[in-house]
Amino acid sequence: MTTITPRRDAVLVRRPGPEELDPVRTHRRRRALELSLAAAVPLALLLLWQLAATQGWIDDRVYPAPSTILADGWDRAAAGDLWPDVWATLKRVLAGYALGTAAGYALGLLMGSLPLVRAAFEPLLDALYVVPKLALLPVFLNMFGLGEGPQVALVAATVFFFVWISTMSAVIAVPSGHRDAGRVFGASPWQMFRHVLLPASLPSVLVGARIAAGVAVLVIVASEQIAATNGLGHLIFDSRALFQNDVMFVGIVCVAVLGVLFSELVRLAGRLLTPWAPKDRGRGQS
Amino acid sequence: MTRRTCGVAVVAVAALLASAACSSPYSDTSGAKAGTGTRTIGPVEGCGKSSWTDPADLAPDRAPARCEPLAPSAQPLARKRKITIATGTLSAEYVAPLEAAVDKGEFKAEGLDVTLKVLPTPDALPLLAKGDIDALWAAPEAAVMNGIKGGFDIKWVAGNFSPGPGSKSGLWVRTKEGETAARVEMAGRTLGTMIGKGSVIAYPMQKALARHHGGLDEIQYRQLGSADVLTALQNGGVDSAWLLDPVWRKVDGKPGYAFLGGQPAGEPLGGLLYGPTLLHDDVDAGVALLRAYIRTVNTFFVSDYKKDAAFVAYLSKLLKIDKAVLEATPSLRMDWEIRKGTTTRLQAAYRAQGATQGSAVPVSRTVDRTLYEEAVGHVP
Repeated sequence: MTTITPRRDAVLVRRPGPEELDPVRTHRRRRALELSLAAAVPLALLLLWQLAATQGWIDDRVYPAPSTILADGWDRAAAGDLWPDVWATLKRVLAGYALGTAAGYALGLLMGSLPLVRAAFEPLLDALYVVPKLALLPVFLNMFGLGEGPQVALVAATVFFFVWISTMSAVIAVPSGHRDAGRVFGASPWQMFRHVLLPASLPSVLVGARIAAGVAVLVIVASEQIAATNGLGHLIFDSRALFQNDVMFVGIVCVAVLGVLFSELVRLAGRLLTPWAPKDRGRGQS
Repeated sequence: MTRRTCGVAVVAVAALLASAACSSPYSDTSGAKAGTGTRTIGPVEGCGKSSWTDPADLAPDRAPARCEPLAPSAQPLARKRKITIATGTLSAEYVAPLEAAVDKGEFKAEGLDVTLKVLPTPDALPLLAKGDIDALWAAPEAAVMNGIKGGFDIKWVAGNFSPGPGSKSGLWVRTKEGETAARVEMAGRTLGTMIGKGSVIAYPMQKALARHHGGLDEIQYRQLGSADVLTALQNGGVDSAWLLDPVWRKVDGKPGYAFLGGQPAGEPLGGLLYGPTLLHDDVDAGVALLRAYIRTVNTFFVSDYKKDAAFVAYLSKLLKIDKAVLEATPSLRMDWEIRKGTTTRLQAAYRAQGATQGSAVPVSRTVDRTLYEEAVGHVP
């Protein structure tokens, strides 16, 4: 038997990097860089847009400069012209979202827990899932008339499917060992739901709910174009028809902000409601 | 890195601020060129005194300007021109003169190769202003006025039609107990229309509402699909509706419905809009296009053109509209002229509707009658 002693100059020596030497400072610097990038890229694009509009590289009558859009948005907000439309859209989104989430969660739980219910409803719901929800608007118009009903129903129908699918798959995916443990401890159906199914499924449900939040805003904007007399969608398409492009862009910016805020709120609610879930790191967070 | 980034950002902002001082070349191109002011106008055979009427004449029974059939005769351009005209639809009776002119070769006779392109007005406006399309068969809607106000060089150069006698296309209402067509309270009522805010119907609507204690700002609009307007009126979804040809026939004469008014007789509210190409760069082609259009009206759409069953059958095929639908309504009164003050009255209605803001665009920036006047040989 021979023993080989490695040559000293062949040994790989790794010196501690900044991450090991000062992890807190490194993390802080990395975070600052990420935040700077997140702010700088949109800002750079806005500056480029502004430059293009003022230099005439693009037609500022068709694509108004960001400064024009900002000024117009500010004026409309200060005059109180913008808020009724924002509020109208928000009301529809919130009402439809609440209804769709509640219905989707309830049916998802039922179908995830009871195979017979799943067998009864899944083919039908799968078929309805692929129907573009906007195509249902005429049906909702006939059912609910010309008021808020069709808009709320459309958002609810859209949200329902996202929450239903994520809930059902999350409940199905709950390991059988968790259920067995519940049964061993003599859990009642309510206790099984409260202590096993809910904590196990909620993280996935909230992911579905967060996707649905963005889609809800998307759908309501399209729907308000067709059958509403107010709201941000109506503002966008009305101003487009009247060739008021600055107002149209104000509406688009408001929709983007509303969508981001709503989605972030749902994400925040998810973090608070499911502290046990793996941390949702979100966009570019170290 | 931070310092370098800050430096780049400062330079970018400085460049931006410096650039902001320079105005965009797009900012205002209206009235930038000489236009049609210096052209020689001579008499045109077949177009006598009756080929022009005073724009100030707003009488509802005014006979529209007419030349003899086949006049004004074609004056082929030395070089063939390709012309693109945008229109919101090809299946409407008011587009018939344009489609007939293409079909009968009237544009070709002038040396024009005309293509009709279906495009909604808001989409067509920037293209018209840029010269990507040459003309727009539409109306001086609020979108057009906003575009002109924003610096687009677009003008209304010819009319299209006014409703024929007997037409009841317009504002219909479901009457409440004790109400008659002469006395209906319109304030606070809902109105269904497939035509959105800022359309030229705002003007006749304003007139009709004013007669019935209402205003454009006192009614609630419901924009509905073409198939839904009548249904909504009949089932009580809306109190009133703007019914187009031939939909109004369904409620005409039925108890519980009243016609409050439509487009003013003798006053066209739409027609041809030209962009800078035909207004300034190629006025010869602009006049030739109007000459062909006017000749088509004089030859085929003289007065009650629907009396001729063969011609109705031709129109039905051309426009892809059912013959019975065409026969259900009176002939339109085709009219290439533009009345005095129409754009001012339209803009007043748009403002009342909230579709435009600020002062009205002056007529000098919205209307140019010189091209059709040249086509019929009228010297202003």
